[in-house]
Amino acid sequence: MSKLNATDIQGFTLRGYNLPVARYLFLEFKGPAAGKSLLHQLLGKVTTGQRWEGTKPDSTLNVAFTHRGLAALDLPTATLLTFPLEFQQGMKARAAILGDTGVNAPEHWDPIWHTNRVHAWLGINGKSIAALDACQSDIEAAIELTGGATLLGYQNAAAVVIEGQPTTGEHFGYTDGFGNPDYLGVERDSQPGQGKLAKDGTWLPLATGELLLGYADESGELPVAPVPHLLASNGTFMAYRKLHQNVATFRAYIDEQSKHYAGGKEMFAAKLIGRWRDGTPLELSPNNPDPAIVADKNQNTNFTFANDPSGGRCPVGAHVRRVNPRDGFGFNGGLTNRRRITRRGLPYGDYVPEGQPASDTDDRGIVFMALNSSLARQFEFVQQQWIQYGNDSHLGNEKDPVMGNNAGHGRFMIQGDTTPTNPPFLCTHLPNFVELRGGDYFFLPSITALGMIALGLVDPR
Amino acid sequence: MPNQSGSLYGLTILSPILNDEKATPSHDLQIRLYLASLYTDERGPFALAPLTHLTRLVVMDDVIYVGAPSCEEHTKFKYLVWESNFDGDLDTYLTTLAKTVPTQIDTIWSHCVGYPGTSDIAAFIRYMKACQLQTTFYFAAINNKTVEQALTAIQTQKAVSDFVACHQGMEPAQLQQEFLQFVEKLRAQPVPQRGSAARARDIKTGGHNE
Repeated sequence: MSKLNATDIQGFTLRGYNLPVARYLFLEFKGPAAGKSLLHQLLGKVTTGQRWEGTKPDSTLNVAFTHRGLAALDLPTATLLTFPLEFQQGMKARAAILGDTGVNAPEHWDPIWHTNRVHAWLGINGKSIAALDACQSDIEAAIELTGGATLLGYQNAAAVVIEGQPTTGEHFGYTDGFGNPDYLGVERDSQPGQGKLAKDGTWLPLATGELLLGYADESGELPVAPVPHLLASNGTFMAYRKLHQNVATFRAYIDEQSKHYAGGKEMFAAKLIGRWRDGTPLELSPNNPDPAIVADKNQNTNFTFANDPSGGRCPVGAHVRRVNPRDGFGFNGGLTNRRRITRRGLPYGDYVPEGQPASDTDDRGIVFMALNSSLARQFEFVQQQWIQYGNDSHLGNEKDPVMGNNAGHGRFMIQGDTTPTNPPFLCTHLPNFVELRGGDYFFLPSITALGMIALGLVDPR
Repeated sequence: MPNQSGSLYGLTILSPILNDEKATPSHDLQIRLYLASLYTDERGPFALAPLTHLTRLVVMDDVIYVGAPSCEEHTKFKYLVWESNFDGDLDTYLTTLAKTVPTQIDTIWSHCVGYPGTSDIAAFIRYMKACQLQTTFYFAAINNKTVEQALTAIQTQKAVSDFVACHQGMEPAQLQQEFLQFVEKLRAQPVPQRGSAARARDIKTGGHNE
């Protein structure tokens, strides 16, 4: 079993901090020497994966780089060329293969992504806005001191607050954030359903190399990684995507379509995602939400699809079934284990409760971040084959009903069964409920690697 | 019979490509160039001629040495690999191709050693059979439908899906009436053209023909 040194791994890589607010700063380095000097100033502030004894800190800080950012810091060419191709290209250049076309095409992204100036992502998570401000002040002081970077802009994000309490909800009204994969050697509170399915029906952690560079992955190989090994080891890659949510369109679509659906509005909403809005998995409770299941860690991620091949409970094309098919493609889940991603992120924009007027143009959505050892094999595969296409699920060209780039002509089949309240139903004219507003691919190095970059010690020989 | 799965035939042919140092561009590149220019829709030669479910033409340059412990080997020739899944028996298939798309077949195989051309059909069939490999473990996803039946099934599937989309929730008597009209209209539809079933996708996966 891999033994991990949590103090050498960025905390963001190993765990969701479960802090209510966040701010993501985007920096452009001003020359290699000043840029490295800035990193040197920040080194001691970066949050590691070491467990917190007692209370959480007021804020956390993590750092990641685009390929252009690493080049701007003068990493040796022999190192830069060894990064995986998709990371070298960046997310914008991958738009055609990701299906980031139409309204999701790069020309519609936020202005910060129009030029190729984003070199670094500084992620701050905090207990309060004041804590974020304090951390940002420290960073700005370091920028001032070193002249190492320009702050191009930032993105605020925050847990949806309902009745004064931060929740794990998102703007369409679903409870989100169930279950990230477990990995060998990563210490966290785990629960059944979060790793890979064993032959006896229990769940085991995935190989460490599915998340972290420098360790064996599910095929027993080391993930493709830059040289030197020390630069890559304990690091990971991140896809950062700002996903705008058209809340008015979503609510209107649900209202309109569910008028014709005998299961009712809430079941219709559940069929799109594969979970009831409170988070109850359809596979475990197909007829009604069940708070007892949601609250039970032994149940809320502990389900499979193999016994529901026709999609009578959870539709074959439902969001959760597409992005994590578990054993749905047979082979006891073997076709899924190398396509898992760790998700981070928080909503942004004000939450509008059901029944109150919402607009598509309000700035509102989710900052989605996927961590994986191979962007091409994991994040890009899920995005291309499982979100933007349906062939693996025997759904032809159909796309994910909620996340897909459906452009007004998407279809989604609720398979149902012969029960009058669970009828087959075909959803048509699916619009884009979600629109991509920008992002990029980042390298999230280890603490040692951050030091090597800051001190100019990266030597590929 | 290893070449047969249900009513489908799985053909594998390896034709050695002419090795003429004086030819510029070389014969293998000339095949590659012509193959790259072929249509993959209704206008492709294997769509113009009947019987083909799917087919693939590949130029195989050599066996690539992948390092120890494998041993280094090379083929004597460059080969044109032709794989095809089709309805019926081999003689009928080859005869049909030779009669329907002789120009395209001759343009491809004229770069191969000993190719006699399609004008003498008996010689053409003899040549192809001499180059044939047994297709072992042949698997056809659909092995009990002709090309026309498969095309009609795809057409029907799409039409039914569209019908459901437009008529969902309709009052039963009217639904039945419209369905009967729909079935009548669908039955009258001509069989779709071969090569027309593939719909354009708005996502790229890196292939040459995208």
